[in-house]
Amino acid sequence: MKNNIDKHLGIYVHIPFCRKKCDYCDFYSVCAYDDNLLDRYLKALVKQLDDYTLGGSRYTVDTLYIGGGTPSVFGGKRLAALVKEVGKRFDFTRDVEITVEVNPESADKALFKQLKKAGVNRISMGVQSSCDSQLAALGRLHDFKTAENAVLLCRKYCINNISLDLMYGLEGQSMDSWLESVEAIAALDPMHISCYALTLEEHTPMYRRDPVLPDDDTVADMYLAAVDKLGALGYEQYEISNFSRRGYRSAHNSRYWDLRPYIGIGAAAHSFFGDKRYSTVRDIDRYINGILSGDSVVDEADDVAVKNRSGEYIMLRLRTSDGIDEAEFSRRFGSEFDNYAEKLKKYIPTGHAECGGGVYRLTPKGFFISNTIICDVLDI
Amino acid sequence: MMDQSKIRNFSIIAHIDHGKSTLADRLLEKCEAVSQREMTSQLLDNMDLEKERGITIKARAVRLDYKAQDGETYEFNLIDTPGHVDFNYEVSRSLAACEGAILVVDAAQGVEAQTLANTYLALENNLEILPVFNKIDLPAADPQKAKQEVEDIIGLPAMDAPEISAKQGINIEAVLEDIVANVPAPEGDPNAPLKALIFDSQYDPYVGVIVYFRVMEGTLRPGMKVKMMASGASYEVLECGYLRPLGIEPCQELSAGEVGYFTASIKTVKDTSVGDTITEADRPASEALPGYRPSQSMVYCGVYTEDGSKYPDLRDALEKLQLNDASLVFEPESSAALGFGFRCGFLGMLHMEVIQERLEREFNLNLITTLPSVIYEVDKTDGTLVLVDNPHNYPDPAHIAEAREPYAKVSIISPPDYVGNIMPMCQERRGEFKDMQYLDTHLVELHYRMPLNEIIYDFFDALKARTKGYASLDYAMEEYRSSDLVKVDMLLNGEQVDALSFIAHREKAYGRARRICEKLKENIPRQMFEVPIQAAIGGKVIARETVKAMRKDVLAKCYGGDITRKKKLLEKQKEGKKKMRSLGTVQMPTEAFMAVLRLDEE
Repeated sequence: MKNNIDKHLGIYVHIPFCRKKCDYCDFYSVCAYDDNLLDRYLKALVKQLDDYTLGGSRYTVDTLYIGGGTPSVFGGKRLAALVKEVGKRFDFTRDVEITVEVNPESADKALFKQLKKAGVNRISMGVQSSCDSQLAALGRLHDFKTAENAVLLCRKYCINNISLDLMYGLEGQSMDSWLESVEAIAALDPMHISCYALTLEEHTPMYRRDPVLPDDDTVADMYLAAVDKLGALGYEQYEISNFSRRGYRSAHNSRYWDLRPYIGIGAAAHSFFGDKRYSTVRDIDRYINGILSGDSVVDEADDVAVKNRSGEYIMLRLRTSDGIDEAEFSRRFGSEFDNYAEKLKKYIPTGHAECGGGVYRLTPKGFFISNTIICDVLDI
Repeated sequence: MMDQSKIRNFSIIAHIDHGKSTLADRLLEKCEAVSQREMTSQLLDNMDLEKERGITIKARAVRLDYKAQDGETYEFNLIDTPGHVDFNYEVSRSLAACEGAILVVDAAQGVEAQTLANTYLALENNLEILPVFNKIDLPAADPQKAKQEVEDIIGLPAMDAPEISAKQGINIEAVLEDIVANVPAPEGDPNAPLKALIFDSQYDPYVGVIVYFRVMEGTLRPGMKVKMMASGASYEVLECGYLRPLGIEPCQELSAGEVGYFTASIKTVKDTSVGDTITEADRPASEALPGYRPSQSMVYCGVYTEDGSKYPDLRDALEKLQLNDASLVFEPESSAALGFGFRCGFLGMLHMEVIQERLEREFNLNLITTLPSVIYEVDKTDGTLVLVDNPHNYPDPAHIAEAREPYAKVSIISPPDYVGNIMPMCQERRGEFKDMQYLDTHLVELHYRMPLNEIIYDFFDALKARTKGYASLDYAMEEYRSSDLVKVDMLLNGEQVDALSFIAHREKAYGRARRICEKLKENIPRQMFEVPIQAAIGGKVIARETVKAMRKDVLAKCYGGDITRKKKLLEKQKEGKKKMRSLGTVQMPTEAFMAVLRLDEE
């Protein structure tokens, strides 16, 4: 079973283009592009995929995730071509999960039709809020109505596995308006919901604007209220910010939290492959030119054998509701979990953690201060 | 033997910044004691710190040869004095070694608080006072007005006094001639039993302590067995000589009226404290010179190193400083919050600051100091008397018959406009108004009796702030008075933090407790659990704040597989955590803890 999983691979493709950057976003993307650039970028992506087929290796892929940026601006045709090119070089499993991120304002019939045809079976859409003034303050290009229509359209073209993103801790957002958003999103009946606390990142327009945001206590209350509400509506929390109907967790993202390998294709994409973590350059031109001329596009790399990644494992698994199984931990890393367990036990009486059957996990209250707990447990 | 009639022993006294050190430099130059090349600015102030602060911390003396207009060469001994109230006793002993004092008055500023205080000290020592009006090069200078002030306020004839600019070197000869003409020559029988006054001493790693003294009676020679009349220590004099600006100059003997040094392989300045009388062991003087007082610490605080492992370095540094500073006292103490350190006693707040800065600069230590405290006297019900310099040692209230706190005589000189600001401020600090005198139409002097405890924290700063810097302060310890004192303990999460305990008058305890609670609340980062902050007298909580539990510390998005970035972010948090100090179960950044200790009363 374990060996079987290890042979499988996830692929992430980064499409670093946006019609307009959202005010809070610090992911790598650019807004100046034309068809020529998009074509060359596609060409480079395909060439980079070739690197993983050298020497005749043939990997089996069970998740493909096309994210951004705004993949939908890449156009249905290019996205479909991309999926096809991946399929030529890798074997998709029968239940492969192929996700594309779509922004509500760039969703149209043609796009969904082409994606469906290409085999895309999961759509992730950033709705963020049901309140139009909050959407405007985030610098989003759509209103809620547009998002609702996009969801309906997506279903119409038979892509039923839909994930919707929401944000809280927004400028001018009250607890009531947050819960309204949660209800409005749930009413669209997606299979998966992600709720992200707004993080004010340096070097973003929003950071420079220095907005008045709800304080930490309010944001924590919003988080816990959403966990309760979504639970009541049948969405199980399986990671700090992720909720799903039974059987609809994001298989791709779950790879990250389980230290399973994935390769990142495209500029500013991250890989965990062959005991190495590495990323590609955060620059479209350098990426394209590097790939097409055969130069290295690796930006940062660390190589630590997987068995020495127990700290990473703890850091990532404590983000999930599955938590850490003592037995699984010692099987994977050949060392006992005891010392870490001792530290985690301190958090049980305060309601930040729980333990049952040799499995340690954080509670929602614990998730929201997980940085502190992880640092303490790992002694960093 | 030096002809006594050609000796002039004098000091320079002044309000801070009126130009004392600059004038001293000019006198040295004029006597060609120092060439221009060797002339570094403010030569008498050797320590960097003195140069920076513009104050003289340790007394220094120099012998100058002055060829006067009458054709004779005179021996001038210029004895420099510290210029701060903390060092009043040292000043008085330096003055006792002189016959005269030059009173430097800023021609633009006129008479100020220390002008008066220092003049009184000089008068107490029966010195002839020679006013000199400095800074006449300044546009704002008004020598006539300043002279009138000196005549009116101090009652010294000043109209014929020299008007000079020490900075520009204007009219310095007039000062020198004034000294020859008006400072009395010393008296004293060179053949009488030895009586010499120690006014300073300094530790030198090669020869041991160098004792600075003035011979009042008799003669001191190398080989002579001398005895310190107060400390009882005896030594055989190895070398004696004159104090020159750039070093010492050995000589055969020093006799009545002269100023110089001797060495005798003395290990510590404690044996040769300022004010002690040197006499000949085999032919002792019948009585010591008057005025000796063992140095007395007025302010105490705990001194710790930020990095606990530097404790031995701190001990070494304090020992080194003590070689030269008998008034610095310290003994080991330990604190649950701060680890191992020392309880140090100081002459006053300036002395405390100077020592702290020297420890940090010269010995490269990062210090944490606790709130300063005065010494309280407590009569216990069992009849014993306890002196408390550390709140930690304050007896249980049930065992206290009477507690007393030190009071000081306080004199504040200010333009009359600010009296309305000063009086409530003194009242708030439990000051007892004595009287108010108009020195002239522009200056009033207020007298108070005030608990020393109220002065030491920030009184001087607050006074400056409320009088736009015009008021000056002078204070001297007076007496212990019965007082309703309480010890306030600070508790974090139910555990006492010893370093934050303090003793205060009952009426003031609540206000201070409140402020410390608030400051702690501001400075303690949120913990995993709610942290109650309490101030308590005995078991009774008098103030309370709460640091709410931390609820949000999360990276919401761990996406796109960028695990490396997440690791880096966590490691960044770890760097911040390193500087944390554990106060029981509560973690607090060292800087924040220091901010609480730097409590200001505003």
